Amino acid sequence: MNGEVLVELRNVGVAFSAKRSVGDSRFWALEDVDLTLRRGQRLGVIGRNGAGKSTLLRVIAGILAPDRGHMKRGPVSCQLLSLALGFVPHLSGRDNAVLSGLMLGLRRREIVARLAAIHEFSELGDFFEQPIQTYSSGMMMRLAFSVAIQVEPDVLLIDEVLAVGDAEFQQKSGAALRARMGEGHTVVLVSHSEAQIAALCDRVLWVEHGRSVMEGDRDEVFAAYHRDLHLAAPAP
Amino acid sequence: MRQHLIELVFFSTYAELRAERARSYLGLAWWILDPAMQMAVWWLLIDVILGAGGPGYLPSLLIGVTLWQWMKSCMTHGGYAIWSNLNLVRQVALPPLVFPIVAMLSDTVKFFYILVVLVVILWFSGYPPSAAYLGLLPLFVAMLLFSAGVGFVIAALVPLLPDLRFVIEQVLNVVMYVSGVVFMLSNVKSPLRELLSLNPIAVMMDAARGILMRGEFPNWIGLGKASLIAFAICAFGVWFIARLAPRYPKLAA
Repeated sequence: MNGEVLVELRNVGVAFSAKRSVGDSRFWALEDVDLTLRRGQRLGVIGRNGAGKSTLLRVIAGILAPDRGHMKRGPVSCQLLSLALGFVPHLSGRDNAVLSGLMLGLRRREIVARLAAIHEFSELGDFFEQPIQTYSSGMMMRLAFSVAIQVEPDVLLIDEVLAVGDAEFQQKSGAALRARMGEGHTVVLVSHSEAQIAALCDRVLWVEHGRSVMEGDRDEVFAAYHRDLHLAAPAP
Repeated sequence: MRQHLIELVFFSTYAELRAERARSYLGLAWWILDPAMQMAVWWLLIDVILGAGGPGYLPSLLIGVTLWQWMKSCMTHGGYAIWSNLNLVRQVALPPLVFPIVAMLSDTVKFFYILVVLVVILWFSGYPPSAAYLGLLPLFVAMLLFSAGVGFVIAALVPLLPDLRFVIEQVLNVVMYVSGVVFMLSNVKSPLRELLSLNPIAVMMDAARGILMRGEFPNWIGLGKASLIAFAICAFGVWFIARLAPRYPKLAA
């Protein structure tokens, strides 16, 4: 339990309007979530579909503001790892890399310094200078991932995008991301795959119906989560 | 953080202009062809068919259409910018003001290309440059502030009320008619002329024609008033967007 607290959520709730028309019918995607994230922690978020995991990530990223509860964030950058952010079809791979990097919070000189690395990692060769509308979807994903992996925020937020592209690139991108997570960065990872979270995270937050059920050591939370899953399953 | 946003705005503007050039077959030529076609329509209607143009109509129309196209594109492109970038708003924590600013900056860059053509045409038509050209700078600042303000207000509302788009085009057409874009205020009879000259856009159009055609400095009091109104709208627009900003990322796709 050491390390400075970077992000702290207390009883945080976020409401959405159900539809875009006159009349107010709100639903709470997050009802009541507590979370403490310290520097260097790798926090996995588990929970069933629709539990509010992705909404929670967007709150930590500063995209959504809580409608109730308290949130404290230190003077740190929290960035959601987004692929192909702001890509423009008519621009070259190089220009899109710069644009996407800026959107992801990099300074221009930082991206320019990394263009060679992006070019190499994406395996695009001469296509790097071509408009991305000529790319196959696999090439697009390779470029998108190569840019995103360059981003180094204080807190890296990852929502289920651990590997993209063909089998070979999937291995490469997965390995790069695991390496990034292993470098002592602070990470919050949302995933359906327990195996992934077990392999990559040391702490786990369990979210259910927009409420945080339990946050703590990985093995303890997994044990409680499994007990609950078994209880919920119909008796044989 | 702030410097990073400035870099983002400038590079996005460059990207926008580049993409627009690549999108169409004639590319840059449309920046000139588009206002030229609009002008031809008005000239045919008002000067040729109705015979209501009067002396100097063609150059005054040229100035009116060029300036209005710039102002209108800032209002509409800027006005739709947050709405059309909602997918980005949902994914990344950026101040939404970035999107209309990028749209307006790229329209302003385009405008300066067109302005050069406009001025050259005027010189060759017997309206030489004069010291009054210095007045263009404050005039353009006032026009940009005014358009940006209106654009910001539209930009704040359209994501929440996308149906507004259907109304805005029509409203802007009416605004064009009452702002002396396609006719000169001096050709309008009293008391309608006094009424129309309360409109800041009409005042600015008049000032532009005075500078470019008659070598007259703008009426500083009139321009000052128009600038104040422009500044007030702009400040309100910025506040309005900041006020509504938390709602945009929650809007459904």
